[in-house]
Amino acid sequence: MRLRCRLLFAGCVWWSVSITAAIEPISTSIAVGMAAALTGFLARYQNVFYYFQECCRPEWISYNKTGLKNDLNTKLYGQHVASEVILKAVTGFMNNENPKKPLVLSLHGWTGTGKNFVSQLIAENIYQKGMTSNFVHLFTATAHFPHEAHIDNYKTQLQEWIRGNVSICPRSMFIFDEMDKMHPGLIDSIKPYLDFYDNLNGVSYRKAIFIFLSNAGGEKIVEVALNFWRDGREREEIHLKDLETALSLSVFNNKNSGFWHTSLIDKNLVDFFVPFLPLEYKHVIQCGLAEMVSKGHAPDKEVVEIMAHDLNYFPKEERVFSMQGCKIIPARLDFYI
Amino acid sequence: MIIEAGVAIVVALGAFWTFSGEKEVCNEINFNKYGLKNDLETKLYGQHIAAEVILKTVTGFMENKNPKKPLVLSLHGWTGTGKTFVSQLIAENIYKKKMKSSFVHLFSVTTHFPHKAHIDKYKTQLQEWIRGNVSICPRSMFIFDEMDKMPLELIDSIKPYLDFSDNLDGVSYRQAIFIFLSNAGAMMINDVTMKFWRDGKEREEIQLKDLETVLSQSVFNNEDSGFWHTSLIDRHLVDFFVPFLPLEYKHVIQCGLAEMARQGFTPDNNVVKRMTDDLIFFPEEERVFSLQGCKLIPNKLRFYIP
Repeated sequence: MRLRCRLLFAGCVWWSVSITAAIEPISTSIAVGMAAALTGFLARYQNVFYYFQECCRPEWISYNKTGLKNDLNTKLYGQHVASEVILKAVTGFMNNENPKKPLVLSLHGWTGTGKNFVSQLIAENIYQKGMTSNFVHLFTATAHFPHEAHIDNYKTQLQEWIRGNVSICPRSMFIFDEMDKMHPGLIDSIKPYLDFYDNLNGVSYRKAIFIFLSNAGGEKIVEVALNFWRDGREREEIHLKDLETALSLSVFNNKNSGFWHTSLIDKNLVDFFVPFLPLEYKHVIQCGLAEMVSKGHAPDKEVVEIMAHDLNYFPKEERVFSMQGCKIIPARLDFYI
Repeated sequence: MIIEAGVAIVVALGAFWTFSGEKEVCNEINFNKYGLKNDLETKLYGQHIAAEVILKTVTGFMENKNPKKPLVLSLHGWTGTGKTFVSQLIAENIYKKKMKSSFVHLFSVTTHFPHKAHIDKYKTQLQEWIRGNVSICPRSMFIFDEMDKMPLELIDSIKPYLDFSDNLDGVSYRQAIFIFLSNAGAMMINDVTMKFWRDGKEREEIQLKDLETVLSQSVFNNEDSGFWHTSLIDRHLVDFFVPFLPLEYKHVIQCGLAEMARQGFTPDNNVVKRMTDDLIFFPEEERVFSLQGCKLIPNKLRFYIP
């Protein structure tokens, strides 16, 4: 990318220079005059060519802290722990000119609680083109690595993909969805990129961001949240500490988890385990109202309440948490409007 | 005419600027003993045994004009205790370009040798790589990380380079340094350290001999260890087994303060303490040693800085 930008720049200068050689006096002086003006302009505003094509430069990659803070506060519902951890972890990392290791976040939780959504928010506040940026790479385990028989192939391809992209742009972002379904051997193969090496095969991965999304540990998180609810305590009283230890141990010991028996945890390469709490009725309402607005309707509380009422809640007796979270709302809402 | 001349001058300047630059020379390799001593004393926390062994062995080796065999160190221990860090410190005090030097070669087993099926190819490539680089520069350094995952056949294939022979196919490996890093034996080291703690003894009372014999046997007998049943150990090709002890609370604090300073903040004990309190310690009852060592501190610290 960088080379292309430079070539474009050089190409323009060369064109203006070469053109002057071919024409007679008056036109030549006009052309030279134009070339001089152009050169003067470019000398002053060197970065203008970088705006035409996405490049690995501050014009395209620039962390917007207030933007992320605002998004997390207004668009993400019911995740006070995750919001705080994400904002601080990402801010701290992006403000660090020389990180010692890449940022590795592991987002865990029940379905429909906002894990994918949050990775989008992060991408949108770092890269101008958000999730469509060339420097953001999303892998879904079941889609990209479906067959266990081809694991060796996947390993090679994945390693090359990561290596190639980080060498083009150090501040690349890799999101791995459905980590709990990813083959442990494949997780092991990307481990070295998450480590402290300053130089692995000629490339430094220290400025990259890796985000892992999974449902692993979801039941444990629900357990903690339910206990707080049963004790009559506020949801906002749940702290990261209440969840983190239980979570990292449960994720490690669960034989169904993609992390089981891998060294991702016992090598401790995950900087933060970010827990996503199951959503309650009131959060579903908030999601519903926001979705109505995004569809272009005036928010109507009654409509949303009817829809929320018809969704499934668990556990069976208390019916506190929504089974589907906010995931199903866009589709369901059409039925009720 | 003038324009062409101008363009020619610009092109020439451009070429000069692109291609000139510091070229590394093998003869200019220079061991900085005081640098290494200082680094080990000030930047490495909680590893009194490793610091002493590393300093003495590396100094002795580098000051020897005619070593009889290459220096082979095997660094063992829990994660986050400083094994990779120490190999970097060694490289930084020998080579001008430090870890980026073209004479330092880092192999991560899962990255460089991922597929068991291709083992024969890896063997050939690895042997050629070592041979080629040592013939260019005898004082080369090879670091193998994740040795516990390295296939036995592959370890066996580099054995000849670690031995005493003066001339192997025209190349002498006697001035090279080989460093192996692994977690093998970490549980054993932790057990010994824990025992000292329970007996109320000081950590600094632990000596190399308390660990070395036990370690080499456990590493040799552990079927999961990359060293198992290889002749790396029974041929005594490893000069030193360097144990890395699990880190305690106070060491994590030291790491945290140093990292704060490195990132440009004024070291604040409260911030570091809050971060350390949130980390996981083992064993479950006594909670003496940090599970992650110092590894996660750089990124975790930013979470606690206001």
